[in-house]
Amino acid sequence: MAVIPTQPTQAVIIGLEIHAQVNTATKLFCSCPTQGSDKPNTRTCPVCLGHPGSKPVLNKKAVDAALKLALALRCTIAPHLVFSRKSYFYPDLAKNYQITQYELPLGKEGYLELSSGKKIGITRVHLEEDPASLVHPGTLTESGYVLIDYNRSGNPLVEIVTKPELELDEAREFMNQLVQVLEYLEIFDSGVGIIKADANISIKESGYVRSEVKNITGFKEIERALQYEVHRQHEAVSNHESLAQDTRAWDSAKGITLRLRGKETEEDYGYIIDPDLVPLPLPQNYIHELKAQLPEFGNTKIQRFVQQYRVSHEDAVVLAQEKKLAGLFETLAAHRNPVLVAQWLRRELLRVMHYNELTFNTYHVNERHLAELLEMVEKKEITDAVGKKILEQLMVKPVSPREYVKQHRLAMVSDTKHLEAVCTEAIQENTKAVEDYQRGEEKALNFLVGVVMKKAKGTTNPVIVRESLKKILKA
Amino acid sequence: MTQKIQISSHLNQVISGKIDVYGFTKKVLTECQQINSKYHYFNTISDELALKQAQHLTKDIMKKVPQRLAGVPLSVKDCLCVKGVESTAGSRILKGYKPLFNATTVERCIQEGAIIIGKTSQDEFGFGSFNVNVGLGHDIPLNPFDTTRTTGGSSGGSCGLTQKSSFAHASLAESTGGSIACPAALCGVYGLCPTYGLVSRYGLIDYGSSLDKIGPVARSMEDIALLLDVIAGYDPLDSTSINFSALKNVSPPLKTPQTNYPAYLGKDVSKLKMGIVKEAFSEGVDESIQNNVWQVIKELESRGMTYEEISMPLTQKYGLAAYYFLAMGEASTNLAKLCGLRYGHHEPLEGDFNDYFTYVRSMHFGTEAKRRIMLGTFARMAGYREAYYLKAAQVRTKIIEEYKKTFKRYDALITPSMPVVAPKFSEIEQLTPLENYMMDILHVGPNLAGMPHLNIPSGFKGSVPIGTLLITDHLQEGTLVQIGSAI
Repeated sequence: MAVIPTQPTQAVIIGLEIHAQVNTATKLFCSCPTQGSDKPNTRTCPVCLGHPGSKPVLNKKAVDAALKLALALRCTIAPHLVFSRKSYFYPDLAKNYQITQYELPLGKEGYLELSSGKKIGITRVHLEEDPASLVHPGTLTESGYVLIDYNRSGNPLVEIVTKPELELDEAREFMNQLVQVLEYLEIFDSGVGIIKADANISIKESGYVRSEVKNITGFKEIERALQYEVHRQHEAVSNHESLAQDTRAWDSAKGITLRLRGKETEEDYGYIIDPDLVPLPLPQNYIHELKAQLPEFGNTKIQRFVQQYRVSHEDAVVLAQEKKLAGLFETLAAHRNPVLVAQWLRRELLRVMHYNELTFNTYHVNERHLAELLEMVEKKEITDAVGKKILEQLMVKPVSPREYVKQHRLAMVSDTKHLEAVCTEAIQENTKAVEDYQRGEEKALNFLVGVVMKKAKGTTNPVIVRESLKKILKA
Repeated sequence: MTQKIQISSHLNQVISGKIDVYGFTKKVLTECQQINSKYHYFNTISDELALKQAQHLTKDIMKKVPQRLAGVPLSVKDCLCVKGVESTAGSRILKGYKPLFNATTVERCIQEGAIIIGKTSQDEFGFGSFNVNVGLGHDIPLNPFDTTRTTGGSSGGSCGLTQKSSFAHASLAESTGGSIACPAALCGVYGLCPTYGLVSRYGLIDYGSSLDKIGPVARSMEDIALLLDVIAGYDPLDSTSINFSALKNVSPPLKTPQTNYPAYLGKDVSKLKMGIVKEAFSEGVDESIQNNVWQVIKELESRGMTYEEISMPLTQKYGLAAYYFLAMGEASTNLAKLCGLRYGHHEPLEGDFNDYFTYVRSMHFGTEAKRRIMLGTFARMAGYREAYYLKAAQVRTKIIEEYKKTFKRYDALITPSMPVVAPKFSEIEQLTPLENYMMDILHVGPNLAGMPHLNIPSGFKGSVPIGTLLITDHLQEGTLVQIGSAI
């Protein structure tokens, strides 16, 4: 059965089913911590191990998180929160059923708008428990046995299902934006949390014969798997192989998808409403309250930054990518030239943070220090070069930039006499370069500028040095 | 029966120091061994735990800590978790499972000084009406009045022991579709099954989670009221546990919940109205039982109660079918976790997980467990789900409505608890599974609707007892105690 595309001209049609781990402190139905020791089976209790007699108790914080996501994705919210048992036998399921949502997902019929303006339909958003993790010693195919670690068992997951209407590059942007939304809501930590996807993929050339790729783990992997699968389908068509509907696995090590089974017989999970849990009413006033707590999201921020602060669209896109960065920008832009702030955050701060492998989740930027630094840069009390040096220093240890400048005598040289003395010194020490310059070689002047800059430890600016050197050499 | 010592008089003796709890407990355990060797009421006798508790208790009594069950020997149906004591719900597949926690009901009784003497015999997971569907390798408990007959089930061990023991004793039992009323009737003891949600299910090895209720079995209404008072009440560990403070906006509105059950003992009944359910006095119900229950009705009438004959056609016609679909559907998922992997019975690891799970489950579940897993799984599969499982849930709602309507006019309903007195094992062997299920016809209604009900021992036919069933509206356990103590 082929998927009927919403736009029959679409080259590739992708539908995604994404699972993201909600960053609550405790699991979905017990009080075990979701983070902590990685020693297998230490963050467990009778509930998440499915011991007979234990009963689930719902973590309301996870419900709030999932509801906020559903609202951010413009979903219609269910009147009640109802959980079902999805039954199948597998060693990673502590109860041999998963507590999930079936008939009545907490959110349905929403959308996420891409930068092109295309709205990607969201079929459903729901909450469920994570199974345990299976560890295959050696490789998946050769391992003689499997170990089960229940530390993950019972972690809260949100599942987001899109309509099959994404192109390949749209799928990438969709994932990007979705992660951005999750992070803006502060319900997901991209550093720690796991994101997984099942994807159904088909191409126009085959008449949209669909393959479903299961269980792709990680943001980058999802992108790789989609790219590979589209490529594979194109190859098959151009080799005149006929494509059949199938279910496939992603082999990350080999970078290929593998056929698991053929034309999908709908698996029967024998869903029943979980009788150990009671329906939780989701009254309108409560939903309104949550809606009021939603932050301004990236897309809205980009437009506002361009209008309000007159920064470039490109800068705005980068700044709005992370809530903390966007917040930092606005704090600093209140006192300094926003364009300067935008450029320094985007080019310099992100560069040094990236170099030091720091993220806004792991590193707390000292706003006061950064404000001080940008003030000195803006007032030309220090050169850009010195500013960058100090920024690098800030990543290593927090110091007051002003103090640092004082201690290391890095203030911009405004004393022209002193500068002229340094230039004269450089000219006297490099007679060869002076001769070359006077013979018309412009490059030789660059060399002299370099010498002066070195002597001045970057406290002056190369344009001024160049002018000063020219003046002396002309004389 | 009435000569046997009750909890209240035992308590007085404990508190006044006339009974040395440790020595007494030792004697109790010896008697349990003796009874068990003949009647098979225990799956486990918890000597070690009982003696340890008795020791601690002796100190507590010296410190005069007021406890409502101080030194009372309490047995617990095997499906209730007792920390560190093998708890198998009567199944070989759970052999070796020693829970890491106490069921809330067990914990509350221990806090009140009860001594846990053991885990009582039951149909495997509660799957039966005559306690003959015991797990593989288990013995069938025998009726305390006639060892050729059944105790009834599935709480057969709890009820048999309560009848047989010479010491003051009560038991925590469990009912999904009648497993308290039935064996209580056939063993001639009191058994109260509370409103669904009144007593926490935390620590209960589930049968059908939306139907399972834990209740007391005892030799007097005083003991029933006391034990219910100890175990009832909200428990945050069970999401289906009723929180009275959150009940205000329920629709349709509930009658004011009754609490403090001992206060209803001996309370005047003359203003109360009974409904006599006609369908329960018809063909298929033993005539001597019908006559006996009519005597009870006349006795209550002489105390000033009035009665009218009524009909509950929906419950009569669809109750049993709806119950079995729901109970089996839920049971088939509740039992899925039992696969010899994390606890309970293990086998050498061979083949893939599917081979292993299949082997363990084929080897260690009894026949009736397998039947209910298969039927329950079938009833919730795509294509049948709507016709069976979901339809049964709708029928349950209708049946609750029928009860609710009836309880607008009557304080209590009265019927026989069982259509027969305890059958002989040889007779049970002749029954088809369906005829077996039909034994629940009289008490399945209140179980399905979550209505509290009480078996009152009301007489004998020959050597074996007859029980009368009282049913009240949700959270009206006080009225059960009130009427039960008037008989």
